[in-house]
Amino acid sequence: MKNRKKALVALAVLAISFLLAGAAFAHTPICMACLNDDGTVTCEGGFSDGSSAAGVKMTVRTPDGKILIEGAMDEFSEFTFEKPQVPFEVEFNAGPGHVILIKGEDIK
Amino acid sequence: MRRKMIPLIAALAVASFAFPAFAHFQMVYTPESALERPEELDLKIVFTHPFEAGHTMDMAGVEQFFMVNKEKKTELRTSLNPISWSGLSNAGKAYEAKIKLRGMGDFVFGLVPAPYYEPSEEIWMQQCTKIIVNVAGVPTDWDAEIGLPVEIVPLAKPYALWTGNVFSGVVKADGKPVPFAEVEVEFLNHRPDLKANRFAEKAEVEAPQDSFVTQTIRADANGTFVYAIPRAGWWGFAALGVKTMEYKGAELGQDALIWVQARDMK
Repeated sequence: MKNRKKALVALAVLAISFLLAGAAFAHTPICMACLNDDGTVTCEGGFSDGSSAAGVKMTVRTPDGKILIEGAMDEFSEFTFEKPQVPFEVEFNAGPGHVILIKGEDIK
Repeated sequence: MRRKMIPLIAALAVASFAFPAFAHFQMVYTPESALERPEELDLKIVFTHPFEAGHTMDMAGVEQFFMVNKEKKTELRTSLNPISWSGLSNAGKAYEAKIKLRGMGDFVFGLVPAPYYEPSEEIWMQQCTKIIVNVAGVPTDWDAEIGLPVEIVPLAKPYALWTGNVFSGVVKADGKPVPFAEVEVEFLNHRPDLKANRFAEKAEVEAPQDSFVTQTIRADANGTFVYAIPRAGWWGFAALGVKTMEYKGAELGQDALIWVQARDMK
């Protein structure tokens, strides 16, 4: 009986985890990058359900994949970096299906 | 002589009674409420009758004008510049402001104009008005109360409505819902010309009868109203006399307004 109860609780936890995981995929990642007056670039991220992008992995790299800068969105869902002097792109990576790539030439 | 005058007076009396009392709407207008990137907004602040673009009232000043983004309030009153705005029958005192947006999210604009005396009704009116502009699709503040004395709090994003969607909101006074509030609804029927500071002569739609010019609905017992939007464009919702008080020897009615923008699916 006790074991059965435990099994039910485990099943419920699993079901809730699936539900929560499902909800996480219902939102869309959003990231925008702006060139600042001081020559830095600020990326601002978020999700279409209003949740924060704090901690999301950010990578600045050359178009052929050489990593220039790595970091993460701060508590305000922002990530600022010095604009590279070479062609570059910025990746906002919040996990599978939640990746946004912004080309350096589109940042104004 | 007297006999001839009687029908004339009667006709004039009928005409004056039949003259429709179109609703006053404080407008805070910008062409686009859902932006891809932060831009400089061109805002026009006009006290008008939006369906008919008829008489433009002279605004008596502005008590509060601000914007809220990510819970941060920015005062904007000093950004206002007086202009003259022309409707189809006259020109009235209005304001404009150019506001540069920075970053993503919702930018909720709140306006409290100075009370306006309406001589035909012998009352003061003060229409506390909201519009919400979103940048890049990240929702941040659209459903927040921004502290207006009377306020419509939206239950649907006012910038993300397809034509045919329902828009709903809660009418509030001092943060509390107002049961069965009367809400007037009008379509902005004459396209605003931001360069000439006037409404276009041409109306987009003709109303079959006066009750279609200003539609009147009621909030429910919880102060919530619902309206299905039949056409793309800007729609104004005005909850009337949400709060009343004595002001300069007459009644002052505070109305809560919100403007929403719908788009066609194409």
